[in-house]
Amino acid sequence: MFISRRISINHYLWTFLSVIIVTIIGKLLTPFFNLTNIVLLYLLPVLISAVRWGRGPSFFAAFLGVLAFDFLFVPPVFSFTVSEVRDLFIFAVYLVVALVTGTMATKLRNELEKTRQREERTLALYALSQEIAAEADLPQVLETLVKTVSETIHAQVSILVSDPDDDVVRQAASYPPQHSLPDGKEQAVAHWVLEHGLSAGKGTEILREASELIFPVKAEDKTLAVLAIKMNNEEETVSPEQRQLIEAFANLAAVAIIRVQLAEEAEQAKWLAESEKLHRALLNSISHDLRTPLASITGAATSLLAEGNVYTREVREVLLHTIKEEAQRMNRFVANLLDMVRLESGILKPKAEWCDIQDIIGVVLRATKEASQQHILKVHIPPELPLVKADFTLIEQVMINLLENGVKYSPPGSEISISARYHDKMLLVIVADSGSAIPKIEQERVFDKFYRLHSTKNISGTGLGLSICKGIVEAHGGSIWVDSSPEYGNRFTFSLPVSEQPPEQQDTKEGAEHVI
Amino acid sequence: MSSEGARILVIDDEKQIRRMLKAALEGYGYNIAEAAFGHDGLNQAAIFHPDLIILDLGLPDIDGIEVIKRLREWTKIPIIILSVREHEDDKIDALDAGADDYVTKPFSMGELLARLRVALRHVAKTDDEPILNFGELTVDLAHRNVMLRGEEIKLTPTEYELLKFLALKADRVVTHRQLLRAIWGPNYQEQTHYLRIYIGQLRHKIETDPSQPAYIITEPGVGYRLVTRD
Repeated sequence: MFISRRISINHYLWTFLSVIIVTIIGKLLTPFFNLTNIVLLYLLPVLISAVRWGRGPSFFAAFLGVLAFDFLFVPPVFSFTVSEVRDLFIFAVYLVVALVTGTMATKLRNELEKTRQREERTLALYALSQEIAAEADLPQVLETLVKTVSETIHAQVSILVSDPDDDVVRQAASYPPQHSLPDGKEQAVAHWVLEHGLSAGKGTEILREASELIFPVKAEDKTLAVLAIKMNNEEETVSPEQRQLIEAFANLAAVAIIRVQLAEEAEQAKWLAESEKLHRALLNSISHDLRTPLASITGAATSLLAEGNVYTREVREVLLHTIKEEAQRMNRFVANLLDMVRLESGILKPKAEWCDIQDIIGVVLRATKEASQQHILKVHIPPELPLVKADFTLIEQVMINLLENGVKYSPPGSEISISARYHDKMLLVIVADSGSAIPKIEQERVFDKFYRLHSTKNISGTGLGLSICKGIVEAHGGSIWVDSSPEYGNRFTFSLPVSEQPPEQQDTKEGAEHVI
Repeated sequence: MSSEGARILVIDDEKQIRRMLKAALEGYGYNIAEAAFGHDGLNQAAIFHPDLIILDLGLPDIDGIEVIKRLREWTKIPIIILSVREHEDDKIDALDAGADDYVTKPFSMGELLARLRVALRHVAKTDDEPILNFGELTVDLAHRNVMLRGEEIKLTPTEYELLKFLALKADRVVTHRQLLRAIWGPNYQEQTHYLRIYIGQLRHKIETDPSQPAYIITEPGVGYRLVTRD
């Protein structure tokens, strides 16, 4: 560690001053003490300077002490001559004690200093590792890294990450933020370091004429990024201890970068697997759910065409109804698929309009009249429900899906109830059927795309209806869930936020009087 | 029925749809002309003198909305849209451009026939009847009087205006915008919550079960329709 010359002269001056002070004190005490006591006083500046300023000033204090003691205290006073051998002995012992304690104190001081620095670094490393372990976002990780390195070693620090696509290094983060790697030589050094994985630039054996030290950030044998370091004090070079520290930081950075990259890859892989699963489910569903009604339609239509006159009126009716119903089924399926694609692709954006839930329920009841005629429908809507901002047709779609599900999965003749209530700034709509309860473990999954209950695989369906409901309700900022029990069947509930109310509207100019 | 024998122009680029419509409608005694393109349709409308036009929106040459606008420049012939475009915005655009009704494909022939009859009946009706009957509901325009099952119903002025506007366009869909403009004025065209509130109030006064309305039917996302209950 280098200490500048100016500071070291100051230290010697302070040492000199302390010897003078001790001399004055010694002079004042001379009438009360003998010489051997006085010489002990001169050990004080030696110890102080050893602890505070190191070996040089402590030795300086020791020799100064001998001279001052000889000149001012040892008779004959004001002369360097020594009259008695006994006094020479005192000098010798004093010098040995002073030099030994000076050396030891200095050593102790250095050890202490080193320990303190080590602790500081360990703390910095620990803090950094804590900080970047919690961070999932790469730019954030890099920013934290350069800031910590910069503050710990007192330098301007940048990190440059390699861009594999166009073979350049991009500056990813730097601290202080305005610090950037100059063009030309330093950029070339950065490239070299990235390629070779060795540190280069100022203070190294390679490309030493560069103004910055460029340090590789490596994971195994791959260089992921480089750290560019420029000491705040231009004349200083990076010490071996600092290099070790930088290396430790670089290792941490490498781990963090790899971790973020792996997380991204895992996410990607998961998404791919998910989409592949979805595609397969979609293909299966399309081939099955479109072909089955097509088969019935083709069968019925060709029978009617080829019949001659063998069919009775009733049989013809049955065939015609088959055609109609199967065509409707196909149409529903296509509509579901379209809705799902719209939801998935983000095209579907709910129109926020004031809606009266009673009005929506009315439309739903009309639309499902035919489908639900085998069931007993109970509707319970309290008056004075607030209007809700929602997309009328989408919420209608949600309710139709829920109601048709209820009809499909509960026995004919059983009761299906629709109710709505206002609770805690939410409008809750509940569609309850008395079908067999959905097992607890499947209650979450019924809202997944293409998910079909194990117990109902024999009932035709696509597994899209509820996932569409979920998509629509969530696009409105609400949520949907089901609770089931063998006692009451299944209760599907969805909530819509009621955040504000439309402004009150006065009746027309004539006032609120009734017409006669 | 007076509408039998009426002349209907079908403008649709799908050959199968035209063939099917022709067969089915001729079975009901209508005279049918066909056009596969918008321009051809506009010409036919002038030459064939139809009583009603069935129009597809997705035509190969010009958009159906454009066809409506050009037709409305010179004629009030009822136009019924028959389209796969099921989004409410498409319906609203067509209705606001001057179409009389909207049926989405796939459709049931029964429904299309009912809409045809309604549209043709409105054309046939020339005299302004002061009393409009909707089954058990009667609106007396001359006396601003509404009766349900022989009993008078008290309505606020706004409720009455709303009911009157729907009644004058009975059986046809009226868009939110048309209603808001007619009753609250052009500055209130976006205030759909007025409609929600007043339609709700109106239903509580005239419907037996407001959650299953029999008179004022909601056309989701588009508007309302007052239906005649015969």
